[in-house]
Amino acid sequence: MEKKVRIGFYALTSCYGCQLQLAMMDELLQLLPHAEIVCWFMVERDSYEDEPVDIAFIEGSVSTEEEIELVKKIRENAKIVVAVGSCAVHGGVQSWEKDKSLEELWKTVYGDGKVKFEPKMAEPVENYIKVDYRIYGCPPEKKDFLYAIGTFLVGSWPEDIDYPVCVECRLKGHPCILIEKGEPCLGPITRAGCDARCPGFGVACIGCRGAIGYDVAWFDSLAKTFKEKGLTKEEILERMKMFNAHNPKLEEMVEKIFQGVEE
Amino acid sequence: MKSLYLPITVDHIARVEGKGGVEIIVGDEGVKEVKLNIIEGPRFFEAITVGKKLDEALAVYPRICSFCSAAHKLTAVEAAEKAIGFEPREEIQALREVLYIGDMIESHALHLYLLVLPDYLGYSNPLKMVDEYKKEIGIALDLKNLGSWMMDELGARAIHQENVVLGGFGKLPGRATLEKMKRRLQEALPKAEYTFELFSKLEQYEEVEGPIIHMAVKPRDDVYGIYGDAISVSDGFEFPSEDYKKHMVERVVEHSFAKHSFYNDEKPFMTGAISRVVNHADKLYGRAKELYESHKDLLRSTNPFANNLAQALELVYFTERAIDLIDEALAKWSIRPRDEVEIRDGFGVSTTEAPRGILVYALEVKDGRVAYADIITPTAFNLAMMEVHVRMMAEKHYNDDPERLKYLAEMVVRAYDPCISCSVHVARL
Repeated sequence: MEKKVRIGFYALTSCYGCQLQLAMMDELLQLLPHAEIVCWFMVERDSYEDEPVDIAFIEGSVSTEEEIELVKKIRENAKIVVAVGSCAVHGGVQSWEKDKSLEELWKTVYGDGKVKFEPKMAEPVENYIKVDYRIYGCPPEKKDFLYAIGTFLVGSWPEDIDYPVCVECRLKGHPCILIEKGEPCLGPITRAGCDARCPGFGVACIGCRGAIGYDVAWFDSLAKTFKEKGLTKEEILERMKMFNAHNPKLEEMVEKIFQGVEE
Repeated sequence: MKSLYLPITVDHIARVEGKGGVEIIVGDEGVKEVKLNIIEGPRFFEAITVGKKLDEALAVYPRICSFCSAAHKLTAVEAAEKAIGFEPREEIQALREVLYIGDMIESHALHLYLLVLPDYLGYSNPLKMVDEYKKEIGIALDLKNLGSWMMDELGARAIHQENVVLGGFGKLPGRATLEKMKRRLQEALPKAEYTFELFSKLEQYEEVEGPIIHMAVKPRDDVYGIYGDAISVSDGFEFPSEDYKKHMVERVVEHSFAKHSFYNDEKPFMTGAISRVVNHADKLYGRAKELYESHKDLLRSTNPFANNLAQALELVYFTERAIDLIDEALAKWSIRPRDEVEIRDGFGVSTTEAPRGILVYALEVKDGRVAYADIITPTAFNLAMMEVHVRMMAEKHYNDDPERLKYLAEMVVRAYDPCISCSVHVARL
């Protein structure tokens, strides 16, 4: 009998959209005969968080002290750890206001109210454990899941995409939102793979797949273009931080564009 | 012997959206305490979007929740448009409601077939039902796919719809696509009716029978629907949406990242499909109206399990309603997807019916940025009432096998179709 791959899907703090995207895939029914779901609370009542698995998919940002313990436990039990979606990979939109203190944010929402759990600022999973592979997007595309799972099942590793949304946008022949409409499109710095979905609808990219890796996220050159279009440094940083707040290169590269120039 | 008690707990309720648990503590006199522990971390959406540009904040709000991202997007956009004094054209409004209905169809189909039905059929996981319940799983997937496809076409994708923008849409689908949508909706009607029949046969547990205060958005134009500017209460009271804070009062509770809400500061209340049906069944029409008339006793106001059947009724209703809205949009068709908006200062409140009940967005806009944001989600409204019903179930079953009690308690929670991720992004005080 074929040995089934043991899969766990674990949720930290998120909108549950990555799991929903996976659960909504009809293709899942073809995968299931080859897989054993050890943990996936969204669909399986008999779920076990601390059992060994071959592949652990983690969705959500680390946002409570309890979640730090959880990710460590998942790492110990898993052969392959996959961070799924913008929250797990980049900290998610909840990291947008990274510069305000937890106390400040807490007070705005909860006032003097107390809760018995320990909240913390949202962070990517990688800040606490080694991550073997990332599935990008908010939410990821279905084909991202198919590609990753399919590659794992044949015993290989998926490859990262290292070119921007602009490449796919040009191939699709959409009008350029940045150049032709003058809108702050983040396509030039954002990892492709969505087939330029939003520009195809005439909407500027907000960067939900995160900046391209390998240090080729050209935050500075895009910031220069934005600056020429009249955006302030704060406006540029705000927009780029929606999905890139934890990127160590971001501030430094945007800052560069505004140094030594008289406003 | 009853000298030693352990709390009966479900740490992580399965087959709901988000992370929450149930804790039941039994003492000598019976059930002492029932708590719904909401353990999902906080994400501070109101706090992080204050001071941000309006369009960017509107891109972030739907990310509160994936199951109802269209609901969040459309409600936030309506609140923002009210704040800046803009009213969308009628066909744009109709198509936005069609998009909202796509979310409703997908969410109800997922909840009923994949989250609720396995309990009744004795499965831990809906995927295990595939062999024995081919027809049911087929219908679930068809309805789910229809809802997702409607959101793809009108919202750019099924989760986090970027195609809804201030003033209209980024891009409109062509007439041919809308006509195809209409055909697919017509084909889905018998499947929605089958769902209603199926759920009309399922048990509604009498342990949780009792009076419930229901709240629902009073539909605009007197037709059962999603948008409205006032809230109706099942005791006959009605108030304008702007007064939501006066009559739906929130409090922080120690065991939950989500706050609890009370009607007039003291009474738990319910919101959701059954609340819509209880308060506004007279505004239904078509086949749903007939089904309601013949199944009134099951669609009753006194049992939270009736929410499942009410969702099935809505699958029928909203499928028909979407067809009518598409006709309306086609009759007033214009290829212009959006109108220019001027971002003026102002304050706007939007209340709509998300799949799980009343969703409130209050936004203040100043200098093109969000100056104040208050968001209250249906699950946050429902939590206090949910605890009451779990307690009623526990009081009848605390002497049973704890596994049985856990199962029943989870079923009560699931009947509310809670969206726990949503509920933790609750309002400021």
